[in-house]
Amino acid sequence: MDLHWHHLLDTEYGDSSGKPKFTKCRSPELETFSCHWTDGVHHGLKHPGSVQLFYIRRSTQEWTQEWKECPDYVSAGENSCYFNSSYTSIWIPYCIKLTSNGGTVDQKCFSVEEIVQPDPPIGLNWTLLNISLTGIHADIQVRWEPPPNADVQKGWIVLEYELQYKEVNETQWKMMDPVLSTSVPVYSLRLDKEYEVRVRSRQRNSEKYGEFSEVLYVTLPQTSLFACEEDFQLPWFLIIIFGLFGLMVMLFVFVFSKQQRIKMLILPPVPVPKIKGIDPDLLKEGKLEEVNTILAIHDNYKPEFYNDDSWVEFIELDIDDPDEKAEGSDTDRLLSNDHQKSLNILGAKDDDSGRTSCYEPDILETDFNASDVCDGTSEVAQPQRLKGEADLVCLDQKNQNNSLYPDASPATQQPSVVLAEESKPRPCLVVGTESTHQAAHTQLSNPSSLANIDFYAQVSDITPAGSVVLSPGQKNKAGISQCDVHPELVSLCQANFIMDNAYFCEADAKKCIAVVPHVEIESHVEPSFNQEDIYITAESLTTTAGRSGTAERAPDAELPVPDYTSIHIVQCPQGLILNATALPLPDKEFLSSCGYVSTDQLNKLMP
Amino acid sequence: MITFDNLSGIDHLTVAGALSVASLPICPGGAVNCQVSLRDLFDRAVILSHYIHNLSSEMFNEFDKRYAQGRGFITKAINSCHTSSLSTPEDKEQAQQIHHEDLLNLVLRVLRSWNDPLYHLVAEVRGMQEAPDAILSRAIEIEEQNKRLLEGMEKIVGQVHPGIRENEVYSVWSGLPSLQMADEDSRLFAFYNLLHCLRRDSHKIDNYLKLLKCRIIYDSNC
Repeated sequence: MDLHWHHLLDTEYGDSSGKPKFTKCRSPELETFSCHWTDGVHHGLKHPGSVQLFYIRRSTQEWTQEWKECPDYVSAGENSCYFNSSYTSIWIPYCIKLTSNGGTVDQKCFSVEEIVQPDPPIGLNWTLLNISLTGIHADIQVRWEPPPNADVQKGWIVLEYELQYKEVNETQWKMMDPVLSTSVPVYSLRLDKEYEVRVRSRQRNSEKYGEFSEVLYVTLPQTSLFACEEDFQLPWFLIIIFGLFGLMVMLFVFVFSKQQRIKMLILPPVPVPKIKGIDPDLLKEGKLEEVNTILAIHDNYKPEFYNDDSWVEFIELDIDDPDEKAEGSDTDRLLSNDHQKSLNILGAKDDDSGRTSCYEPDILETDFNASDVCDGTSEVAQPQRLKGEADLVCLDQKNQNNSLYPDASPATQQPSVVLAEESKPRPCLVVGTESTHQAAHTQLSNPSSLANIDFYAQVSDITPAGSVVLSPGQKNKAGISQCDVHPELVSLCQANFIMDNAYFCEADAKKCIAVVPHVEIESHVEPSFNQEDIYITAESLTTTAGRSGTAERAPDAELPVPDYTSIHIVQCPQGLILNATALPLPDKEFLSSCGYVSTDQLNKLMP
Repeated sequence: MITFDNLSGIDHLTVAGALSVASLPICPGGAVNCQVSLRDLFDRAVILSHYIHNLSSEMFNEFDKRYAQGRGFITKAINSCHTSSLSTPEDKEQAQQIHHEDLLNLVLRVLRSWNDPLYHLVAEVRGMQEAPDAILSRAIEIEEQNKRLLEGMEKIVGQVHPGIRENEVYSVWSGLPSLQMADEDSRLFAFYNLLHCLRRDSHKIDNYLKLLKCRIIYDSNC
């Protein structure tokens, strides 16, 4: 509003200061107050001095209706109005207005307690408290008196003070926190400098300070000339440099030192994955026998390991462990599949441990023969390392009471799942979702097995080649390979497919392969496979199979799926899992428990 | 030494206020016949009243900054506060002439008169659109501290002027409807007024108590 008027004035008078305005109203001690205004430049239009101030105040609930004129235009100076204590009431609203020739030029409303700005303190003095030992710094105590008109003694007004000080030739004042007392220590003043000190006060709880007191000059006594010129400063820079240098020297000594022990202490080597007792060289050299034996021993422990985990359904081979905790319900479920039940477990005992047999170490030696579902396969070639898994893999089989493995009829053999190496997923992988193809023929167990699929798989081991053996439950990532399978092949390879987490023993695969040697699976398969590692769970296999809707699909009891099973890659209908022993292995990098076959090996194996 | 920065955050004040109050000695665990000395009672009361005034100043400033800008509330005639009917001394002379018992009773009356408005203030601020936490937290704190101050004052009165207990006189506050008005402008003005009155009255009480403390405890020689 005022600004607006101001602007009007400008335009009217063509001049910036036109009207008189209130500059400030102030009460120094909460007993009186005064108001000041600027006298506008009138350009001689009016006489100066015709400005008047009127005030009105509310008393006991109602405004006195008339504006009263300022009682004292003089005491507070020019262009001011002073209200002494008889005119001052605290906590009462006042309104004042400035008139010039009868016209109101400015107006303001306030309460007196809101405009308190005390006078400056008086009587500043200082005393020396002490001098530091180095003779460089000193502490002083500054004292002052409250402004005389403020009645602090009776407690009518409570003041707080702020002290500021600086060196004489500085420009910036240093401020201290407000204090309630009238004396305050100032620490660490340098003896060779001169200081200025000033104090100002304000009412506690207010925002506005009063004016500053007069400046107090502090001249400290000069000390002897022996005082150090400068404080000793730690040469931080040098310390850091030398420290770093020393550290680097030590580091180099350690790194390049021949002392292996120290080196290992400082820079421990990263452990590479390896299997206890197995020398990777063995594998490289193709000494599978040794490796197998080692693994056999090694694997013996696996069942125990798995036994401890409640969430791991582990199918033990009867051979090893009659009292395998077995699979509990899962395997039973798996076994419930009549279809599979028909199959009998190869070779091994006919009890319900549907052992995969494929993974039995002893079976390894046996020749793979058609009647042997899994026997031949698993065993042999592969480094048994996954015997444990093998167990898992074949666990379903076990549960199924051998159902999975057709006796002696390769035809019924299910496609084995082979875990493919990264390279080319040669085999027709029946995995994953898109089992559009005949992969379906592989009679994977019920699609419903999907339900049993776990979403998490446990990595049971890592093949030397680098692929991961997973426990059942992992979905496979690979696409489904298209496999053209002849119907007869299908039937052939309809091994009682393991359910979801079924593993197909190589035996099965081999069977399938043997039966259908010519399936041009590869051609089909290759395209469908990606470079990615292929981990296919039996379930996915089953799924795909399911989807494809093989005829043979049996109701497939849901074989109880163990929580973790290793994965094999299922090759297309024929499920080829190449078994190193069964087929000539050009190279020795053959891995697999029941089922990892490198794709090139597979290629080689395939006739 | 208590320092209160201008417009410092509620936390600072709360800590300072709470600490200062907490640091005062108190009757050890429910001792019978425990008598907190009058000096301690007054010290505590003054700290509380100062704290309350600080909070209400900040609350008012916060409200003014946030809601009252450009609305010209201040230029409107400053409404009366509901405690204006209590005839409290309006300057130093009057305050010095009044007897300290009467002054104490007046303080009690003012404090009691604010119980109800503070309660409703908190409730209404909560219901405000985008209830500003700075205002709400202070309102809640003030309400609580006001109760404590009232208790303290009653203890003081019990010690200074035992025996005579006046009837609970206080000013009734009838401003609740205006706080709940549908019209936003009117409602905000009602809030503004209430907060302005609160700031004023808290300053008044603070002043009276400091005066009384110096008079009673230090014999007018603070």
